[in-house]
Amino acid sequence: MLGNAIQFVVDALSLGSLYALMALGLVIVYGILRLVNFAYGELIMVTGYTLYLLNGSPFPWLVMAAMAVVMAILTGMATELVAFRPVRERSVTAVLITSFAFSTLLQNAALLFISPRARLVPLPDIFTQTVEIAGVIIPLRNLLTIVCSVLLLSLFALILKRTVLGIALRAAASHFTMARMLGVPANLVISVAFAISGLLAGVVALFWFGRIGSVVPGIGLEPLLVAFIATVIGGMRSLVGAVVGGFLLAFIDISLNYMLPQNLLQFRDAFTFSMVILILLLRPQGLIPGPATGQRT
Amino acid sequence: MLTVEGLQVRYGAITAVKGVSLEISEGELVALLGANGAGKTTTLLAISGALKAAAGRIVFGTEDITSVSPERIVRKGIAMVPETRDVFPDLTVAENLRLGAFIHRRDHSGFERDLKTAMDLFPVLETRADQAAGTLSGGEQQQLVIARALMSRPKLLLLDEPSVGLAPAIVERIFELINRLRERGLTILLVEQNAAQALKCADRVYVMSLGRVAVSGTAAEIASGSNLEEIYLGGQAARQRENHAR
Amino acid sequence: MLQTKTLVSIVLLVLPVLVLVGMADAIDVRLVTRIATTLCINLVLVLGLQVFMGNSGILSFVHIAFMGIGAYTSGVLSMPLQMKSMALPNLYPVIVAIEVSPYAGMLIGGIAAALVAAVVSYPLMRLTDAAAVITSFALLMVLHTVMVHWNAVTNGPRTLFGVQNATTLPLAAAVAVVMIVVAMAFKESRAGILLRAVRDDEVAAGAIGADVARLRWQGFVLSAFMAGVGGGVWAHFITSYSPAAFYLKETFVILGMLVIGGAATVSGAVLGTFAVTAAFEGLRAAENAINIAGVLPTTLVGLTEIVLALAMIATLILRPGGIVGDREVGALPLLRKSLRIR
Repeated sequence: MLGNAIQFVVDALSLGSLYALMALGLVIVYGILRLVNFAYGELIMVTGYTLYLLNGSPFPWLVMAAMAVVMAILTGMATELVAFRPVRERSVTAVLITSFAFSTLLQNAALLFISPRARLVPLPDIFTQTVEIAGVIIPLRNLLTIVCSVLLLSLFALILKRTVLGIALRAAASHFTMARMLGVPANLVISVAFAISGLLAGVVALFWFGRIGSVVPGIGLEPLLVAFIATVIGGMRSLVGAVVGGFLLAFIDISLNYMLPQNLLQFRDAFTFSMVILILLLRPQGLIPGPATGQRT
Repeated sequence: MLTVEGLQVRYGAITAVKGVSLEISEGELVALLGANGAGKTTTLLAISGALKAAAGRIVFGTEDITSVSPERIVRKGIAMVPETRDVFPDLTVAENLRLGAFIHRRDHSGFERDLKTAMDLFPVLETRADQAAGTLSGGEQQQLVIARALMSRPKLLLLDEPSVGLAPAIVERIFELINRLRERGLTILLVEQNAAQALKCADRVYVMSLGRVAVSGTAAEIASGSNLEEIYLGGQAARQRENHAR
Repeated sequence: MLQTKTLVSIVLLVLPVLVLVGMADAIDVRLVTRIATTLCINLVLVLGLQVFMGNSGILSFVHIAFMGIGAYTSGVLSMPLQMKSMALPNLYPVIVAIEVSPYAGMLIGGIAAALVAAVVSYPLMRLTDAAAVITSFALLMVLHTVMVHWNAVTNGPRTLFGVQNATTLPLAAAVAVVMIVVAMAFKESRAGILLRAVRDDEVAAGAIGADVARLRWQGFVLSAFMAGVGGGVWAHFITSYSPAAFYLKETFVILGMLVIGGAATVSGAVLGTFAVTAAFEGLRAAENAINIAGVLPTTLVGLTEIVLALAMIATLILRPGGIVGDREVGALPLLRKSLRIR
């Protein structure tokens, strides 16, 4: 009994950590720019394909992983340059469409230049090891996910609270123009936001592929949806909300897995999305209040 | 120090500022008066770079800053305190002030000095240093945004309606502060609807109406001479002037 | 209400469709006829999207799902009894008993889509910007999931076979022409004009009494109806399909056609459809030729989408209103002078 409980908790926490990091990466960009990055899921795809392409190289896995994450960061910054910066001044709709187009571009580039078929992602041995706690087998990978996420989140919180850059980011998220009028360089802040977004997506990708082991061009859709939903639940303007939303979503998903009868289980995603819509209707600002601005969102 | 020539600013199809020229010399306190919608705030926003000028020139010192971005204008020594009193509500007072010194962030000792000066001028900020700025009262927030602007060590301070929405006693205090800043040699361009207070502390005055400068002169001239009420409320004379100008 | 320039626009927009049919008829090659029919069906869908997106200014990702609803409704209802028992063995007896002509089916498909849209969307019409877009995205996911898992009606994720082949080029073209008129009529109707006022300035429009949510809802339901009809027409053209045909890739293509042509006008929808279909088929042909010739070591796939994506981004950067911009083709100054229209 205890063993099952521990398994549930570890499952929920490890999945929740991934979802939380994923959501955070999305909100960082949304909070400052008020823009949804549709090409966000593709950062996971890029990480996967980089690992795949590096497979067989003399580097140890950790180095390959680092390079893959760097690729995610670079792609994130490229997204900004291609899909956001040239249309930033125009309507919100324009940017949504350009990021959607960029997402399609990236997916089809992978399709064209690599392959439409699934490709194996090299993983370290430690991802296949398990450990036994209170009579249940727990993949070591899940524990690693939790530890890594906690470290990353703490690092991030520290940067936000203690460094001038962090204060500048929070100010930009609150009132972008005012921050600029104090000398905070707009382009720098935005690029940093996208870079952080890429870093988070890259790290999530490593553990995501730890679970599924292979990459296809369309792999980014599911994490993107996760990020969307977690962000909506937690509150689209709040960083803390994104994290909470991520854990909540993971908890709901895993609970639904246990609770739904077999024939309804396949509709689990429909349940989750309907919940998103409900929340948007009843409490559009999400469960956690975000930074007050006095400005229209 | 600052020269504005023929400034034109548009919001889409609407021209809010239709050709404004003004001049500020070092050490002066110049007031920009006028009714709501006259274009005062728009003029200030154009000078600070937050809005793009459709036509005209803005020269600061010897430099043409007409199309310079806001983050670079601050580095040239012009700081703006907007009418909307945009404190960053979730940042603490201390963090707000720290951000104000962003362009001098490498100068740690200088920052400490500036912070102390700010706290001396605005003691309430010291008491509330670790409180979220959003929890401050209107008057306290006004002091915070002025202090924050000062942290960037500006040569020219643009103040947009510092008294709006504040109780008369607090307004008195704010204007005391403004006078003190002036005594310390800061050049100030002050936009105000509260003409009485502004005329008391200003050296020179420009009065705007419907996007243009209607009248200008020393504070004494304006206070005694022209009919401000007429200009504010767009009376016959002002309309005649408008038609004549067209 | 129907101004001269609107009538001129309608005529000018219907013309290319008629020319297309004429040409395809003359050439009489099956491939060309197929492409022309696909173009007409795409046109119906893009026009439907224009009705909502162009007039409300709100980006909607759910449009293609309504096409799916129309396709499955029409496809299943018009299937002969014999076929039904083979293709959909688990279909509910109530539906098995119903059999309508494909033409009625297309109409019913449109109505079904409109009904779903009406029910599902009314509460959502108050949302704007990011929330509205994400909601439409979530809706697409919900409807897609339902289609993929409702085995009894859609045959699940598998292909549904046996749909009646009833769509000819003349039929598709006729439906397209009707939809051009519908789209134009809505745009110039009181509801359309008010909706565009809301798009341009929500606060001001509210101040003159526009019921924002209701106006958007009307546009959305009409848009869904058009998508449903388009789905029905397509179903009887392609005769076998799966839920995968009503998902992101198709959303992207239809959206691309509208964005490149220009979402604000019906002319934009028409131009975009023609331009992108032409480019698409051209690129497809090139892709196939290269693949067959074996010039490159691997097969080319996805090139078409990449070009479309780049074209969309370029359009939004260089000409954000699309190629057509703000004015319908009948209102162009050159035209007005030559026809002496006020």
